[in-house]
Amino acid sequence: MTFSDTLIQSYSAIKTQPVRVLLIILAMSIGIASVTVLTALGESARLYIVNEFEALGTHLVIVLPGRAETTGGHPPIFGETPRDLTLADAQALFRSRNIAAIAPINIGAAPVSTKGLERETTIIGSTASLRRVRHLNMAQGRFLPDTDTNKILSVCVIGQTIKNELFAQQQALGQWLRINDRRFRVIGVLSSEGQSIGVDFDDMVIIPVTAAQTLFNTQSLFRILLEAKSKPAMYKAVDEIKDIIKARHDGEDDVTLITQDSVVKTFDDILMALTLAVTSIASISLAVAGILVMNVMWVSVSQRTSEIGLLKALGATKRQIMYLFLSEAAILSIAGALTGLILGKATLFILQTVYPDFPVYLPTWAVFAALAVALLTALIFGVLPAKQAAEMNPVTALRRK
Amino acid sequence: MFNVIALLDQPSSGKYTLNNQDVTQLNDQELAKARRENIGFVFQFFHLIPRYTAAENIEIPMILAGVPSKERKQRVAEALIAVNLQDRAAHRPDQLSGGQTQRVAIARAMIMRPQILLADEPTGNLDSQSGKEIIALLENLNQQQVTLLMITHDETIGRRAQRRIRLIDGQISLP
Amino acid sequence: MHYLDIINLSFRTVISQKLRSILTALGLIIGIAAVIILTSIGRGIHSYVLAEFTQFGTNLIAVFPGKTTTLGLSGATISTVRPLSMADALSLSKLDNILAALPLVQGNARIEAGKKQRRTTVLGVGAAVPEIWKIKVATGRFLPANEQTNPRAFAVLGHKLALELFGDNNPLGQRIRIGSDRFRVLGVMEKKGQMLGFDMDDTIYIPTAKALALFDRESLMEIDLLYKSNMSVKTIEKSIKRLLQLRHGREDFTLITQDQMLKSIDSILNILTLAVAALGSISLLVGSVGILTIMTIAVSERISEIGLLRAVGAEQGTIFKLFLSEALVLSFAGGSIGVLLGLLIVYLISFTLPNLPVQLAWLYIMAAFAISLLIGLAAGVIPAMKAARLHPLDALRSE
Repeated sequence: MTFSDTLIQSYSAIKTQPVRVLLIILAMSIGIASVTVLTALGESARLYIVNEFEALGTHLVIVLPGRAETTGGHPPIFGETPRDLTLADAQALFRSRNIAAIAPINIGAAPVSTKGLERETTIIGSTASLRRVRHLNMAQGRFLPDTDTNKILSVCVIGQTIKNELFAQQQALGQWLRINDRRFRVIGVLSSEGQSIGVDFDDMVIIPVTAAQTLFNTQSLFRILLEAKSKPAMYKAVDEIKDIIKARHDGEDDVTLITQDSVVKTFDDILMALTLAVTSIASISLAVAGILVMNVMWVSVSQRTSEIGLLKALGATKRQIMYLFLSEAAILSIAGALTGLILGKATLFILQTVYPDFPVYLPTWAVFAALAVALLTALIFGVLPAKQAAEMNPVTALRRK
Repeated sequence: MFNVIALLDQPSSGKYTLNNQDVTQLNDQELAKARRENIGFVFQFFHLIPRYTAAENIEIPMILAGVPSKERKQRVAEALIAVNLQDRAAHRPDQLSGGQTQRVAIARAMIMRPQILLADEPTGNLDSQSGKEIIALLENLNQQQVTLLMITHDETIGRRAQRRIRLIDGQISLP
Repeated sequence: MHYLDIINLSFRTVISQKLRSILTALGLIIGIAAVIILTSIGRGIHSYVLAEFTQFGTNLIAVFPGKTTTLGLSGATISTVRPLSMADALSLSKLDNILAALPLVQGNARIEAGKKQRRTTVLGVGAAVPEIWKIKVATGRFLPANEQTNPRAFAVLGHKLALELFGDNNPLGQRIRIGSDRFRVLGVMEKKGQMLGFDMDDTIYIPTAKALALFDRESLMEIDLLYKSNMSVKTIEKSIKRLLQLRHGREDFTLITQDQMLKSIDSILNILTLAVAALGSISLLVGSVGILTIMTIAVSERISEIGLLRAVGAEQGTIFKLFLSEALVLSFAGGSIGVLLGLLIVYLISFTLPNLPVQLAWLYIMAAFAISLLIGLAAGVIPAMKAARLHPLDALRSE
């Protein structure tokens, strides 16, 4: 019996039981659909986050003051140290040839006002390099000028939210903005970025770092952002930064360095694990569907006992009978898997229509994996009933009605 | 016609009165009750439920009628003695011979003590020896307590009946 | 026909098809067990995280500098033009119904003790730490009270830090250096462990004013307040706001009550549990399709039996009930075995993996069991109706 004959035989056997077949396909497709949808969501979330980070530039290094020796704990994201990171530290880093840009960062909160409108907002003190390091885009005007950091310039760049709240219907460029008790001229407006990994650049005012240090009455920096010239340069830069700071801090290694790719990798790993966990929970339903296939195949074998007897009497081999039932199970599962994929695709399409901002993407490997898993399920769960059919004694099989 | 008498079908024309009751007027529930109480069935193909034992098959009509369990066991035991199968009570249908199977079916048909016993070719699927035993059993019942209505193609059995109706292709032909 | 008889007959039928019934029930068993295990883990994490938070006590209010509406960290914690001062903390502590106030500064520094040194978290705090954070002193005592403005240079070590710096030696009374300043060790805290990834034991506690000097800053990062448990949060919040507004001239601070925190964490974690329950229920759904399939097959296989039952006097209703109760017996068996299996696995998990917090979510367990019965009902109705509607004659003839 050829392969296609086997398929045709099984198909005709399936056709006689439409309700049963529909139900099996339904069960299988629920499993496959949920696995596909969840995989797609997990993968999309992972890619979304990774892309967000990559958009910041992959050669980013963050220098934080302080270092804790607790293993596995957080890096000291915020908090004070007896010896601060200073502007002079930041400038000293230019000695490294592997660094393309250095943006010292100071951060704080202060009330921002103009013509009676006031808003408490986040103030970032930095330099012209911040634009390059964080890949910021301008909607209007220009970013902080690239001048000597020691000179105090009273200019600022504002985010979209600030513009809308404080300069609702008017031109913001050239206007004076009061931050606490100082006045700054607006020289640029950032284009809307949305939330960029937890930092809302829309609700933010950027001023020169020296102005920020005066404003908050501090000498220290919150952190330093660096862009290395290339990926290999980044690892060299990390060592150089450590050496430079150590030399400046009386030989004490008191800063923490975070590279962009380690952060990306952490998120990547977490989301990968999450996707895997969610998908495997959903896969339990595939096992349940497999059990159903097995059950129905068993029923099918026992109902067609006399048919099996007849086939054997007519000279069918054990192997042929086994293939006949296995291919029946396979056809059922594949049909279920295809239906499930269509269902999954439809669900994803609806999700995409409802949430157009979140790019949903179904990886190709997931499609093939779904089909393969369905087929595998069928074969695993179909083998026992098919074996039983194959082993049947033709004489007793024929005698049974 | 057999089906109409059996209350399994409604007559296409005419009238059927059972115990002074026009059965064409009865709904499903009442018909089921009427079948339960008045009619016993014996089929050519036995129609025993394969997963139950002989005793349990006999018990089924009483379960449907809501007879208490204690009384059921008692009556099943009596019925098994009546058809001479007391040693086969715990056997399943596939462990019984054809004649034994039909005797279980007769015991089941009689268990509700119906007025009418309908037998549709009761010997049609049996060898002649078993057939004779079954006919003897049915005649015995007929003399004791019940109206026996039997359909058969077997003239020798037919001749033993008190009243015969010959049907040829659906038409009644007088003897 | 008696209900007991119906159930008995269905039970017999289910038993007679052992393999088929086991496989059908297995679908449900896996689904129910999955829901129970997943919700137990969800519930366990829920309680674990809540316990982590409530170990600080529940009658806490934290005051942060700067006005933000989100729970996130604002830039104001780092620096702000409207600082919270030691004086603010002092006057807050004198409010009615406030039991204690804790001015907080956090940082990172190198600690030296003899030849040993270690970089660790420095907490600038007041004397009220044991009371407010519910953390006990193991040996020695905590920082003295009433030294807020001009404190002596005392330090209290976290459990792990003490071990790292002094090993088996008694650290009490020893001199240590933090940055360039010298401190005397006054006490060692008991072991507290990790608190949401932050190692509470690898810390050093020094007076707030000393920390401010060490880090060369003037403002606090946070003030933690402990209030009387019999007072409502609202009243306390109001009086804190009134006082600080009076002192600062405007509302330039943010209050976060432990209550609010717990509530939002609670709701997030409840959603998490619900989500894993929903994921597990996909299997339950597939299992119910299984019951439906098997019941459909059962009806089509037993048509002639249905015919016989009808002939010997079964009403339509009886046939319906017979098949429905068969589905129910299957789902009841699947449901109860599933619950038992789930419970067993949860106990095994809590036995073998004591680090994974599991807690039985009885509400979900009962819901899962109820759903399994509902599934039986739903999956049984259509086939049972089909069986009941069969015409007895056609049914008898089918062979």
